[in-house]
Amino acid sequence: MSLLENPTRPVTLRRTGEKAEGAQVSPEWVRISAASAIALQFRSGRFSRDFAFGGINLLLNYEDGCRSDCSYCGLARTRPGDYEDKSFIRVEWPLFRTGELVDRMAEKESSLTRLCISMVTSPLAYRDTVTITEAIRAKVATPLSILVAPPTLNRRKLEHFAEIGVDMIGIGLDAVTEELFRRHRTEVPAGGAGLSWEKYWSVVNDSRDIFGPWKVNCHTVVGLGETDAELIDLFFQLREREIFAYLFCFNPEPDSRLGQHPKSSISRWRRIQLAKRLIEEKGYQRRAFDFDSEGSLLNIDAPREAVEDVVEEGIAFMTDGCPGENGEPGCTRPYGSYRPTESFRDYPFLPEGMDLQVIRGELDLDGLMVQGGSDR
Amino acid sequence: MKRLNVEGYELRGDLYYDAKADMWLSVEDGVAKVGYDPLGLEINGTLAALVLAEPGREVTRGQAAGSLEAEKFVGPVTAPVSGVVEAVNEEAVANLARIYADPYGSWLLAIRMSDPGELGELVTGDALNESFARRLAAYRAQGVLAR
Repeated sequence: MSLLENPTRPVTLRRTGEKAEGAQVSPEWVRISAASAIALQFRSGRFSRDFAFGGINLLLNYEDGCRSDCSYCGLARTRPGDYEDKSFIRVEWPLFRTGELVDRMAEKESSLTRLCISMVTSPLAYRDTVTITEAIRAKVATPLSILVAPPTLNRRKLEHFAEIGVDMIGIGLDAVTEELFRRHRTEVPAGGAGLSWEKYWSVVNDSRDIFGPWKVNCHTVVGLGETDAELIDLFFQLREREIFAYLFCFNPEPDSRLGQHPKSSISRWRRIQLAKRLIEEKGYQRRAFDFDSEGSLLNIDAPREAVEDVVEEGIAFMTDGCPGENGEPGCTRPYGSYRPTESFRDYPFLPEGMDLQVIRGELDLDGLMVQGGSDR
Repeated sequence: MKRLNVEGYELRGDLYYDAKADMWLSVEDGVAKVGYDPLGLEINGTLAALVLAEPGREVTRGQAAGSLEAEKFVGPVTAPVSGVVEAVNEEAVANLARIYADPYGSWLLAIRMSDPGELGELVTGDALNESFARRLAAYRAQGVLAR
């Protein structure tokens, strides 16, 4: 029988009405992702598939939350409900004492691959990110990224992050064109809180200068109304500057302004994953990608065998995230943008065997490849 | 009714427990009401959805009688006894938070048993302590329980 009905419908995850007593705010307190809480054994739970998990994601916490009001975000100011109860990237982010968390990370350091502190748009965010970074660095050597909140930063502050041991910077661009950025993040009901396309790019540029090649990444969300051509153009632009593009699949947060907005089809998502791998790692040029008049990817002009090899390799379909110390996958966000009942959007492990068969079906290469394509 | 407490988990001496299904059972007039015991609830993480076999459906001990989805996990709801589903507790299914608050007040399925002899394979009464401690140790070894 079909055991779970409507397996792709977004659901709200909530256990009980556990409420914080008094102010539990950063830097003394910090949220961590549900997967991180399970991996660190702060929370009971398990993953559907068996894989090593060592990417710990932290999120600053304030009583008045994030000042931004992005249309797709679980933490948006105008999303109904108490900030404390809001989900972010699909799941709850339980709160813990920072000291206790750092001690637990130190204890489990050998199994950790990457740490990441997500800032939120708040006047206190920079100061508290520094405090938490220093607390981590005093006890844990695992590589540490910051997913920055650009409105709170300037060049000097980014330099300070590098000085205190941060090795990678992520910028949550999310929307891949200026028009989409404005629509989803700047011209929003509660006000844009300083989020602007220009400011984000200024932080990208400063970060690239300070942290160096392949030490900066831009998060790109697939499914906010962009075309394939717009996404792929950005991948080329970032490759040119030796900046990673990290893919995220839009997943509607219940009750958010985009709560009823559909996520992109699995076939589109797979093709974007494939295209990005061909561009970032295999050196393909812009002319290898053909689009229709709507900007949808129509053909990839490349030798079929070479593309089949990329599919077979499986890496294209793994979670995009900051690497571990030796380049291995570091931040893998299992079930971050899809329910465990759905197909993996991105795999937190290297897909092989049956998983690759599923991917091939979703990708439908026959419909995408120009027969006898030229080499790039 | 005898209440036991094993390392903070409440057990009830008047109920049957199935270690493989992680469920409790109360039996009356050949009908078993079944629900998740506190450990069974905890191991999966926060529940997101439960889909249970509909009334009239035949279920077999050890086989799926539905499916559960938690934040990072999906798996079967295992039938602890064989029989025909007489009722589903729709109120509990619709309000999953309540199951955590009152696991023993939140039966999920009522199953008219086809083989009452299966009760002999379940654990009850004085055997509960030792059996539960074994289950707890096994889940701890798997690393699925919070410390």
